Amino acid sequence: MLHFVKTDHLWKPAFLPMILFISVSFFIASCKTNPGNDSGASNIDTVLTGTVTAELTNAPNVPKPLTYTSPKKVMVQLETIEKVMPISDSSEYTFWTFGGHVPGNFIRVRQGDLVDFTLKNSPDSKMSHSIDLHAVIGPGGGADATATAPGQSTHFQFRALHAGLYVYHCATGPVPLHIANGMYGLILVEPQGGMPKVDREYYLMQGDFYTKGKFDAKGLQDFDETKALAENPDYVLFNGRVRSTTGPNALQAKVGETVRLYVGNGGPNLVSSFHPIGQLFTKVYTEAGSEVNTDVQTTLIPAGGATIVEMKMQVPEVINLVDHSIFRAFNKGAIAQIKVTGAENHSIYQKLKP
Amino acid sequence: MRYFISFFLIIAVFGTVNAQKKPVVFEKKMVLVTAGKYKPFFSTKSNKPVAVAAFKMDETAVTNQEFLEFVKANPQWRRSKVNRLFADTNYLRHWKSDLSIGESNKKIYNSPVVNVSWFAAEAYCKWKNKRLATVAEWELAARGVPKNIKQKSLTDYILNWYTQPNLPVLPNVKSTYQNEFGLYDMNGLIWEWTFNFNSFIASTDSRGNDEDELKNFCAAGALNVSDKSDYATYLRFSYRASLKGNYCIPNLGFRCAKDLK
Repeated sequence: MLHFVKTDHLWKPAFLPMILFISVSFFIASCKTNPGNDSGASNIDTVLTGTVTAELTNAPNVPKPLTYTSPKKVMVQLETIEKVMPISDSSEYTFWTFGGHVPGNFIRVRQGDLVDFTLKNSPDSKMSHSIDLHAVIGPGGGADATATAPGQSTHFQFRALHAGLYVYHCATGPVPLHIANGMYGLILVEPQGGMPKVDREYYLMQGDFYTKGKFDAKGLQDFDETKALAENPDYVLFNGRVRSTTGPNALQAKVGETVRLYVGNGGPNLVSSFHPIGQLFTKVYTEAGSEVNTDVQTTLIPAGGATIVEMKMQVPEVINLVDHSIFRAFNKGAIAQIKVTGAENHSIYQKLKP
Repeated sequence: MRYFISFFLIIAVFGTVNAQKKPVVFEKKMVLVTAGKYKPFFSTKSNKPVAVAAFKMDETAVTNQEFLEFVKANPQWRRSKVNRLFADTNYLRHWKSDLSIGESNKKIYNSPVVNVSWFAAEAYCKWKNKRLATVAEWELAARGVPKNIKQKSLTDYILNWYTQPNLPVLPNVKSTYQNEFGLYDMNGLIWEWTFNFNSFIASTDSRGNDEDELKNFCAAGALNVSDKSDYATYLRFSYRASLKGNYCIPNLGFRCAKDLK
């Protein structure tokens, strides 16, 4: 008790000036116009207006654009699931996933939102898992709070301070193995006011895979640590499977439409030289940041990074989206397609007789 | 070698005698794990190899049938009575009821008991005048050279187990390999509780977000790992690090150990 009284005496005289100082600084801060926007960060003092549950989608689908205008509390629950799935026509692989698919569920929030995040690990999992979201500012990007044993859940919250498209991945040791098995996905933090409207949005994510057997060898394939250390993959894939997004599964678009792709690269090892054959990117949000580049043929996507690209559909065609480190596209699976239908426009392109 | 054989004989005879006295409760066979040195997987400068004295260890994981005897004798460990601080809501959830594994679960009577907490495992071992093995003891025992495995190395064997989907019914004990100590299924069947399951790893974020400056640096979490390429062991330590004492998990069981007298 004596201790408390003593302390009280000590800080009492300083109390009034301190209050004055705090209120004055608050006043000055509130006079500035959008103080946070200079650095792209959101104003964390904004009062949250209600709670919503995030819509989660599997690739190639993207959740609908958000319609609310002031920050909310957003509930997100992801489940880690270990699952045997085809990696090619003849090969299967035991994927470790966020939500049962590679890549994991797409999460869409708005800058300024407070994200209430639950990570559940399926009771059927053999392994412990966790999550590091690159959109999180805090210990381990959430990994520190989410070491999750099979059948258990973990919980944390973070503020989506900066707009952008961010990779998330498992951060349980050995991290490279968890990533190599497919544990990655994307979270979009829309800027305040949302993304500019386009006609279609799609989700693609590249990843490299290392198997004991060769490309398309028969049966369930084990992970190959030697190949992974040598960074010599058997597969380089969009959306976790050879031909995941080609032929009957190709992305669809019509002449005249603008298509936006949210593209991530889970790695674990390779950097992608992302290129649309028969098109070019009218817009590239370079490294999914706030700089917009225009008229780009090939854009780099770092491992553990992302990009947002847009294309204007001009003529009917099949656009092959590839990693232009081209052996990966020809021999290791790195092709996705957009099938563009509609009327020919011969003033832009036509095939002539010899 | 002669010592080994006589040891097994003594245990075997002891086991039979006991079994005759109490026909339901089987005395579990224990085997000798010889003394050795264990080099911690997460090492620091002060962390020297640990000298591990010889000890005895159950030759298999504790089975559902064996655990049922314990639950019968110790009402406080029945599913409906257990204190939530000591076992979460998944405790023995695969059983039909408090005192019945269930007719439909006949195939798992002799399979490892899972969905048991650390507290329950420790209480079982105490009831048997035994204890859980320490991490160092368990790792030393698990390092025993396997007999008759297809894979080139134990690491390959374990990594292969990781990639196999869980079987619909958990196989019986002794369904995988036996190692040089005579221990069955140290890998390839279930994970096992250890006495100090979470004291050898410093951080929940495997890349080492820790107060420790040294650990802070390890972007890939591997800076303090004694063998970075030993993924099989790495996964086991990450698994242990995510546990809490009251967790009950469908692939986590235990076996007991005992000091040599």
